Amino acid sequence: MSNTLFGGETLLATIPFADIVWYLSPYTLLLFSFAVIFTILAIISRPERYVDTAFGTDGYYLKEIPLDQMRFQRFMAIACGLAAMGASVTGDIFNFTLFSSLVGICCIGIVSGVKNKYVLQAAYEYGIVIMIAGVPLFGGAALIAATTGTLSIFELSAARALGAAVTAPLIAKLLLIVGVMGEGMAPFYILKADIARAQGAPYILNVCLIPVLVFLRVIEIVLTI
Amino acid sequence: MIELETYVQIYPFALGAVFAIFLIAGYSLFREKNDLHRLLLTDLFEILVLAIIALLATDLAEALILPGMVVGISELLVISEIYIVKEKLYTNVGYHIRPQLEVMKSAPPYYTAALVLIGIILSGFLGGVVAAVGILFYLIGLGHHERFTLIETISGYAWALWVVSFLVYFILPDYWFFAIMLSATAVLVKVAAKLSLIGTMQGERHV
Repeated sequence: MSNTLFGGETLLATIPFADIVWYLSPYTLLLFSFAVIFTILAIISRPERYVDTAFGTDGYYLKEIPLDQMRFQRFMAIACGLAAMGASVTGDIFNFTLFSSLVGICCIGIVSGVKNKYVLQAAYEYGIVIMIAGVPLFGGAALIAATTGTLSIFELSAARALGAAVTAPLIAKLLLIVGVMGEGMAPFYILKADIARAQGAPYILNVCLIPVLVFLRVIEIVLTI
Repeated sequence: MIELETYVQIYPFALGAVFAIFLIAGYSLFREKNDLHRLLLTDLFEILVLAIIALLATDLAEALILPGMVVGISELLVISEIYIVKEKLYTNVGYHIRPQLEVMKSAPPYYTAALVLIGIILSGFLGGVVAAVGILFYLIGLGHHERFTLIETISGYAWALWVVSFLVYFILPDYWFFAIMLSATAVLVKVAAKLSLIGTMQGERHV
């Protein structure tokens, strides 16, 4: 090949995107729009104030949420929403696992924004759970890649529709579901730490609903591939 | 060099080994009550994630390990940060967790030399990470005064070299081998310099 410097076909090489593409269907678009709505709600809403009644009187205290805590939780809620948007429309199983891990990390961030000993303990336990859940999550994706040779949801579903000899094994699908369950355990730990209302609200809304979106998406993936 | 068919035969046994390690790690985590030790044990699961992906043994696996590792490290960082806040292991100036151990004074030079050497042989991003772990171990083990300007400067030049080699790929595709050598070295230096600063900056005057 001659060197055709500045002018000629070798000036700019193009690399096609291969199989890392969007997976758009009415279902995934619906999940995506839900994620967008939750993110917008997290951006525009204000933190709930903590009300403490003074015993024996009619008085009550209003506890202010510190500004830095509010900012941190809002940032984490937005990041969580972005991760959910990615998880709901990605067409690549490994990308999906990465996005769901990101959802787990952001949920820990929202919970641990509350500087309370018991809340931090619950966040710590949840962190250990998502570390363990990483094994089945990535294990499922790796098994699918090892048996079928691809991670693209399009190609996997096409191979299944054509009746290919090797499709994604059942055990890999189950591992994927178990992994997502582990990553999305956040609502249990919210109940454990009792921050469903003040201290955490309204960002806790994202922690409760976005794992549900990711779970709906993994069910769709498992039924498709 | 293992033949492909042999590898396909070995693969289920390797998966079985991973599963056995998973059970052992889970049992130890179940038995352990100390929070700090549980934090250390979770690292076992992170290594298992990398092992499962590495068992694919293709160039795809090499591309997947890196994001897997990043996710794992960030999870580990989150949990340890929560642990530090939970147990109040910080001061207003900065973290205050340097233990005084004999091994932290004698081991760092040897480990650092070995890791940096391996890093240079590996080169590229992976080599940079390995070398950075060595440098990080040295800085944390022996302590330091924070004069990082030189490291920052080197890292900046390495970054510029990386961009140059990236342009060479597209504008002068015939010189791809030169570009590969350039980018491998530049990324090695860049990653080693940047990663070695993580966690060592503690807010002294010269940062």
